[in-house]
Amino acid sequence: MRLGTLAIAALLLIASAAQGATAWVSDPARSRLEFSGTLSGGTFDGSFTRFKPEIAFDPADLAGSRFDVTIETASADTQDADRDAILKGTEFFAVERWPVARFEAGRFTAAGPGRYTAQGKLTLRDVTRDVTLSFTFKPAADEATATLAGGAAIKRLDFGVGQGDWRDTKWVGDEVKIRFDLLLRRK
Amino acid sequence: MQWRNSANNYGAVARFLHWSIVILIIAQYVIAEAAEELPDGLDKFAMITRHKSLGMLVLGLAVLRILWKASNKGLPAPVPAVRPQQIAAAAAHGLLYLLLLAQPISGWMMSSAANYPVTFFGLFQFPALVGANHDLHETLEEVHEALFSALVIVAVLHALAAVFHHVWMKDDTLRRMLPFTRPRAP
Repeated sequence: MRLGTLAIAALLLIASAAQGATAWVSDPARSRLEFSGTLSGGTFDGSFTRFKPEIAFDPADLAGSRFDVTIETASADTQDADRDAILKGTEFFAVERWPVARFEAGRFTAAGPGRYTAQGKLTLRDVTRDVTLSFTFKPAADEATATLAGGAAIKRLDFGVGQGDWRDTKWVGDEVKIRFDLLLRRK
Repeated sequence: MQWRNSANNYGAVARFLHWSIVILIIAQYVIAEAAEELPDGLDKFAMITRHKSLGMLVLGLAVLRILWKASNKGLPAPVPAVRPQQIAAAAAHGLLYLLLLAQPISGWMMSSAANYPVTFFGLFQFPALVGANHDLHETLEEVHEALFSALVIVAVLHALAAVFHHVWMKDDTLRRMLPFTRPRAP
């Protein structure tokens, strides 16, 4: 009997490994994707209100894990209409030309208990660059949900965000911090 | 050089604080008006950013000025005048100090309400006074402009009164605050 249970468990494990790591969907109401920029040496926060994370992640199967996040650049919100208009305009995100930004990662490494890094590629405007995320993954006790939270620091000018006069980093800093906090549900 | 106020004269510190605030507030008005004329872009942003740093400088100078006034224990004494005139002068001074604090603080709150950082020439950042709130920002924008109008009205009355003292009453009211002047010999 016990041997039979074990055999079934082993079979299930093999089956799930064949399918890749556990697939998750995010709960949009409880998931946030935020960024912090600097203006004349002071920081301000903004967020993307529309983004879609496709997450396949299992701490026991990092090789089969994968992130594919699409972000609607027009959903950038910094709580000020004038600044949002500049951000969505041709010199920054150019949302009409490039409505979607994308982060894809397939290489994961453990960085401590519950901590991981994801090496991937971020595409913003027409530029794709390597970006490494640091994050924590905390499954709930029943394993039906999990929180995925972390961030990365990127340089806006690497992606051409800020053309013309806006390339000057005296007023708008080059470094932008990205943070995310997602509530995931098993697909 | 006399630094502190005396019985019949303002010292160098009080005069410096008075006139530097006058000059800064005129500059602030010119910068704000020039920024209004510009289209949304880096130049406008840079100009408004300077306006904010200078505004925080005005706030700092106004606080120093009030502390300095308090530490000079009522000196110099009010010039001899009829009671209602002294009350009017004291009321105008009180209102000016209040407006010198309220004007930059309303601008600081306005920035916070629009989720913009306020820094001191990029050297350090002041904390946000209120959370981001569009309606509050619109209201504060009107408050900031109304306070400026009030400041101009009271400051003009204050300056006219000083000229009145100088020309008609022939006392030292204006001379003791003008830079590089001494009271008349007794």
